[in-house]
Parts: sequence; structure tokens; C-alpha cells
Amino acid sequence: MASLYYRQLLAGLVLVSLALGSISCRAMATNPAFFGSTTPPATNILRYINGDEPESLDPAVSSGQPEARIYMALYQGLVEYDPKTLAAIPALAESWDINDDSSEFVFHLRYTARWSNGDPINAQDFLYSIRRSLSPEIASKNAYLAYTIRYSQAFNEGAVFVRDSATNQYLLEKDFAEEGTVQTEPLSQKPINPDSPEIKPTEKGTAPAPDTPFHQFMHSPPRLTLPGSEKARAKLLSGNPKLQAAVAGKEFVKIKAEDIGVEAVDDHTVRISLSQPAPYFSGLAAHQLFRLVPRKIIEKYGDSWTDPANIVTCGPFKVKAWKHYDELIVERDPVYWDAANVGLDEIHFMVSSDNPTAMNLYKVGEVDAVNNHVVPNGWLDVVRPKKDYMDGAEAAIVYILMNVTKPPLNDIRVRRAFNMAIDKINYAKSRRITKALSAFTPEGIFVGYPQPKGDGFDPEQARKLMGEAGFPITKKGDGSYECKSFPVAQVDFSFNTQSSNKTMAEFMQAQWKQNLGITVQLKSMEFKTFMSVRSKLEYKGFAIGIWGADYMDPFTFLNLFSTPGGDNGSGWWDKKYVDLLEEANRSLDKQKRYELMAKAEKYLLDAQPVIPIETSSVNFVKKPYVKGLYPNAQSVYAWKFVYIERDPAKWDYGPPSLSD
Amino acid sequence: MLRFVLRRLLITIPTILVVITLTWGLIRLAPGNFYSGEKPIPKAIENNIREKYGLNKPWYVQYGKMMGHVLLLDFGTSLKYEGQSVNGIIARSLPVSAAIGLSAYLLALLVGITLGSFAALKQNSKLDYASMALAMVGISVPNFVLGPILVLIFSLTLYWLPPARWYGFPSRGMVLPVLTLSGIYMAYIARLTRAGMLEVLRSDYIRTARSKGLSERQVVMRHALRGGLMPVVSFTGPALAFLLTGTVVVERLFTLPGLGNYFIQASLNRDEPLIIGIVSFIAITLLLMNLVVDIAYAYLDPRIRY
Repeated sequence: MASLYYRQLLAGLVLVSLALGSISCRAMATNPAFFGSTTPPATNILRYINGDEPESLDPAVSSGQPEARIYMALYQGLVEYDPKTLAAIPALAESWDINDDSSEFVFHLRYTARWSNGDPINAQDFLYSIRRSLSPEIASKNAYLAYTIRYSQAFNEGAVFVRDSATNQYLLEKDFAEEGTVQTEPLSQKPINPDSPEIKPTEKGTAPAPDTPFHQFMHSPPRLTLPGSEKARAKLLSGNPKLQAAVAGKEFVKIKAEDIGVEAVDDHTVRISLSQPAPYFSGLAAHQLFRLVPRKIIEKYGDSWTDPANIVTCGPFKVKAWKHYDELIVERDPVYWDAANVGLDEIHFMVSSDNPTAMNLYKVGEVDAVNNHVVPNGWLDVVRPKKDYMDGAEAAIVYILMNVTKPPLNDIRVRRAFNMAIDKINYAKSRRITKALSAFTPEGIFVGYPQPKGDGFDPEQARKLMGEAGFPITKKGDGSYECKSFPVAQVDFSFNTQSSNKTMAEFMQAQWKQNLGITVQLKSMEFKTFMSVRSKLEYKGFAIGIWGADYMDPFTFLNLFSTPGGDNGSGWWDKKYVDLLEEANRSLDKQKRYELMAKAEKYLLDAQPVIPIETSSVNFVKKPYVKGLYPNAQSVYAWKFVYIERDPAKWDYGPPSLSD
Repeated sequence: MLRFVLRRLLITIPTILVVITLTWGLIRLAPGNFYSGEKPIPKAIENNIREKYGLNKPWYVQYGKMMGHVLLLDFGTSLKYEGQSVNGIIARSLPVSAAIGLSAYLLALLVGITLGSFAALKQNSKLDYASMALAMVGISVPNFVLGPILVLIFSLTLYWLPPARWYGFPSRGMVLPVLTLSGIYMAYIARLTRAGMLEVLRSDYIRTARSKGLSERQVVMRHALRGGLMPVVSFTGPALAFLLTGTVVVERLFTLPGLGNYFIQASLNRDEPLIIGIVSFIAITLLLMNLVVDIAYAYLDPRIRY
């Protein structure tokens, strides 16, 4: 009896699933060129999946990409990122001038800029904002990005100047510098020459800013700075008798916000003095850290100034509503200086931490575009051939760090061998959306940069190098390799738990096993644990590394190895490398600078503290009717250029080009 | 009875303090910090952050400050979500979790008890087998599988219901999360009801009830169900607490702005005030629900006296 019913039940289930299957085929067939619905929304509203819940609406605070995208709608800085190239384009500043060695920048602010409450924006607003971003009390994670501004690092670290009360003179850095480290000074630190204007006026006819006492201060030799905390200072002084003697009896003066190298020459001119040449600074100035925040509102409301009820912004959009963990709605700000050219009425920044969910919402037409990296690997077969799939190189790389402080990877031959034993091209093919990388800067991002090549896939040479390093590799009867003398217990491959990382680690493990006969154990850790282990060099062997550009310049990658601690993660540090980078940044000629930088990169690759793996891809989808949103290298968008196109003839069929 | 309730409430307080202390200790033990992100932070900046949030103070000062917050039932400000109060976050996410949870709970009770009772009354019938087979499926299929299947059918192929997001209460958007959430509870309740009922239906007092000429309806509704639901009650009390305070998987799957989503995010972020706040809240709810269950026992089973 019972079995009969089960059979009937089964038959029913089969029928139902067949019916559902046929429906699914029909629904899929309606839009063959695109993934899911392509009906534009009735109003000029962009519904955008932005990733995680934004931490804060305060641009000085958060460092994440979802927040960065929101800040680009709500705030403006002196400059904005170009929607395609991410180079600096005018925003609050109409134009800017740069001195001969890129160590001083003068920005000319437009007169028409306003806060969303109607108040005009002037140079003082910028000064307040950047000083706030750099203050130790705000404790911004991004503060390091502005460290090239004169004395800003010292201010952010709470450091002090040393003043002789008797003569009212400050001790100077150059008097205590170690032998041989004194570099040629950037122009911004040389005395002002009254005869030759150091900044040539642009063709718009803006006169160079008049000389001021602050400018004189900036152009005097840098003062000595010491740690602010007595403990750290005592430690430093005890190791340097000369300094200790000079400091004795002197007064320590805390570095104030007013000391950092930003100056309002007049209400609409900002002059920024850097402590070193930084040709990339104008592009960097578009970063959220440099965006303007409303002083009056912050002083009135304190921490709750970002409440939708209190907030005042200065970007093309202003806050309309914030439904936490659901969506942030921003609407066109009518007082924005370029409001006439803002294409959207509203943007809904939606939260989704689950990629398949985001894709589902996209498919049924509940959202118009999703953030980068959202298309899951398993969906690529279906989604990638569609014309709304966005592909493009990202200014982000994946690499493997090696702990050079511990054997056996303290031997460069071993490090090189492990690099050569990986078939990266094959790996990239299996990943499908990335490009194999042999250098430490992403490929195809920096136009004109003569990127050096690292060692390619060469298992024969790898085995030879291992032999030279004292770990001979023998071929077994079945054609596989083994390396008996290699201390496998001393290395493992650490990564943060994520399926893509695991796939990668397993691939590398298989490659090393196949080509070197060495089995490296994999060690998966929770993200925050992993980051802590890596930065303290507590891992042994290998650790995964991912780095995205802070600004569009190779330096944002190469700079990682210019300090021994922190971001470095490998323990490798070489003075010569740092000098090469410094020399490059001093160079006035862009191409010359690039060449010098490439030389530094080659030097890094030869030392091989890292195994470069791949350049990431943006990997997202957007509906064809969403125009002006380009798959650029950092997946941040100047929202005022984005609009909804209702004429299918003008839609994007495929990723829009970044070059024209 | 009143003494019993008061005594239980008093025991609740030290229990919660222990839970909070343990949670606090575990957050400390876990490596990483709320401020560590994708990119390592320079030492000086890390120091600024630690200074700003009082992490450079000795542990007992931090513990005291945290406990002070807890005792005042004001859990302070989230570390990750700058300027947002923990109480505010709980207050706005709880209604979402509760709406989904309560709906799922009621649905599970309604369907579960109905199916279970009928299965018990018609033991070894087609209906019994069918409903128990269904219950078995419900128990075996986890919600992270059930959810995507429902989405695949009702959103992506039929385009009937939205695949995710919160559209308010009540709304079409609630259908799939509620179904996903209630599936396993429905199945458990059906099985528990069936088992409880089967046992009760064989007992003497049911025979007595039948023999004194009560209608079948009266026997079932008034006598059998009351006894048969005992195991269901002890199951659904804590279940209700978990349903109300957010269900991590379903909220994440459907991107609902509920407590569960915040809970998992707070743990991943090492957002101490938010974790402490949500843990305290869940602990209190759970303990209260257990108390409610005990009181319900007394009502359902006249033999139980406190």
C-alpha cells in the first residue's frame, strides 16, 4: 500500500519540476543578450548594490570602497576622479598649478560652490577639513595618505618641535640627520627666490599667490620633530647622545593643526606644501580624506552630525533617507554648483553582503547595477557572455608574501624557485577573470609605465635553484619529483578563509608539489586573525596578499616595501630600493620618473620577497540603460556623470570603452 | 507561583552578567580588532585609534566601563558604525527580525500542529505518511538550501516574489523569508505533536473522556491536544526566542536589516559594544522565554505546581 503512495508522490514531484523547468526556460529566453530584465526604471533613479553596510557618512573616518562610492555622491574635494581614467578633474577647484618639482600645489577654488544648506564654500572650509582628517583625535585610518603634506605626519602622530626658549629658534632636521642620508631638498623647502615665481600661472591667467609668513615658514629648512609621548621620546634620545645633548634644556612644542602645509592664500586659493615631490598628489587629492566637511554642523552636533536629520554635504547629491542595513537614498542637490549636469534624481545605495542575492536582485530588475567582484565564479559561464557583464583590469593585485626573516625562505634562491615553479598563466586561465602577473604593479593600468618583467614559469630552473640552495630535487621512477631535504615543517601557506583564496592556495600547493616535489601545508584563518599574523610576521613560509591602489600611480604599490613594518608583511627592506623610489619621485619628467620607478620595481622583483600572481578584474554587471558608469580601475564613480538612457539604440552593448 | 517567577527573575541577573563577562573575554581573546581592515594600518595611526576608543587603558578599566553601560542598559556606541548607538541599532533591527520570526513561528505552529495532530489521529494512514515524509524533508533540508530553492522557483523563474530585501510589514517580500525560516520548525513541531498526541491518545483519561460520551472533537481539542502539546511547548519556547532575535542565515540570505545580520557583522567586525548589546538582549529574551515555557507547563499540565 504505502509504496504505491510514494510512487504517486514521486510522479507528482517529477511533473511539478518539469513544469517549473519549462517556465524557467521561457523566462530566460525573453532577454537573450542581457542577464535578466532590461526594463529601465520609470524615474531617473539608480538602484545600486554597494556592498556592505556603510560604516559612517563621515569621509574622514571610513576607508572601505562602499563608503568611498557614497562619499563621491555626497562630498566633493578640490578635485574629482575622472569617470574613466580616475585622473584628477576639476571639482571644488576650477584649476590648479604645480611647481617645478611637484612639491607645491596651488588650487583655485570656484566661487559658485555651496553647501547643501546654501552656505558658500571657501578655502577655510578645506583647511578645516584636512586638518580635521589629520588630527589624532579623529584617528582616521586613511591619514597616512596625506603624510606627504608638510608636517602632517608629525601632527597626526602627535609629535613635537624642539624650541630653544632663549633664542626662539627651532632645532632643524638636517643638523641631526644621519650621515649620507641628506637628500637634495625639494623646491618647497628652499628659500623663496623673489625674482623667479616658483609657480608659473596657468593660461587662465591666475596670478601666483603672494608670499606670506606661512609660506616663508614652509620654505624654511624642515624643523626637527620628536615623538610626542615622553616614553617614546626618551627611548629615541637614549639611543642618540648627540640629539640628547642638543635637546637638553629646550622646550618641546606640540605640533598644531595650523603647522601643517596647507594655507588659504585668500578665500578662494589653497596652497599645499609637500615635504617631498609627489607628482601623484593632484590625483590623490580626490580621495575621501581630502573631501570637505561642514565645520559649523560638526561643531554644533558633534558625533551625530552625520545623522540624516543634521547632515550637511557639498556633493552633487544630498542625503534623503538612510534605512540602515537596507539602503541609503541620496537625491540631487539643487544648490550643487553643477546641478544642471547631474544626470540622476536619486541614487539608492543598497546593502548586500551576499553575492548570489545581489545577482538575484539584479536579474529580476530590482537593482540596476552591482558593485565590483559580485559575479560568483560559478555564474560566469552564464553571465560572462551577456552584454551587460563588465570586465576590465582593476588597480589591484594578488600576490604571495614570503617571510624572508625565517629559513628556508631567507635564501633568495629558494624564493625564486618557488616563484618559478608556478604556472601563473594556467592559473589565470582557471580563474577566467584575471590576468597573470609577473611584476608588482598591476598590468595594463598605468599607461606609459615601462613595467619590468619578473621570472616566468620555469620548473627546470626552479629545481636547479633549489639544488644550489642545498635542497636537491630528485626525479622518482613515476616521473614525479621529491625533495627529501626540504624542511616542510618550517613553511606553510596562510590565507584568510574565503573560497577564492582556498582555490588559489590549493592551486599553488599542487604546482609546488608537481614541480618541486614539496608539499606545503595550507593554513586557513579568519580574516582579522590573518591580518594580525601577517603584519607581525608571525606566519611561516607563505601568506596571501592583496593590494588595491589608493591613487592611480605605480607608487601606491611600490611604496608598500619602503618601510620595514606595517604594510610590508615580508620582512624585506632595502635602503637602496627606497632611494630609487625617492629619486624617481624627484624627477620632473613624467617618463623619466616612470623609468626610475620601473628600475625600483625590477630591484624589488630581483630580491623576490613576493610572488606576484594576478591582476584583478572588476567583474560586475550593470543594466545597458545605465550610462556613464565605466568599469574603471578602482570601481569608484563620479556619480554626476551617470544617467538612465531610455533609448535602446544608445544603450551600452558590452563594457563601455575607457579610452575615448 | 509569584514567588517562583520572582525567584527565576532574580537568577536571571547573575546568569546574564556571567554571559556578558564571558562574551567580553572571548572578544578580547579573538585576534584582530575592529579597526583592522583589508589594509594594514601604520603604527602611529593604530595608536591614535586605540587612544580614541580607550583601548590603551588597563583591562579592568575597560571592563568596568563596559559593565557600567550594561547595568544602565545603555550599551554605548558602536565602534564600527560611527556615531550609531547600540540601543538604536537594536531598536530598529528588532522589529524586522520579530516580524519575520513571529510570522514564521505562527505559521510553523499552525501548520505543524495541524499536520501533526491529523497524522496522529490517522496513524499509519496516507495522510500520516505524507505529512511525516514532508516533515522529514523539512528537517533534513537546511534553510540555506531551502531559501535559494524557493528564490529560484518563485523569483528567478516565475518572477512572482522579490528575491531579497525588506519591504516593510506586511509585504510580499516577507513570503520567502518566512517560508524558509518556518520550514524546519514546522517539521519539528509536526513530528513532536504527532509523537505527543500518539502517547496521549492511548492514555487512560482519553479513554475516560471517550467513554463518558464526549464527541471526538471535544476529546481531541480539550483533552488530547492539551497533553499532546507538552513537548511542543518546551521546544517552541527557546525557538521563539531565537526566531524573535534574528536568524542569521535567513537574514543574510534575504538581506534583511534584522538583528541577526547585525549580530554576525558585529562579531566579524569585533564591534564590542554591539556584540555585548545583542548578546545581552538575546540572553534576556531566551531566559524570559524559558520562564514563559515553565509557566505554560503549569497551565497545560495541572499536575505541575511551583
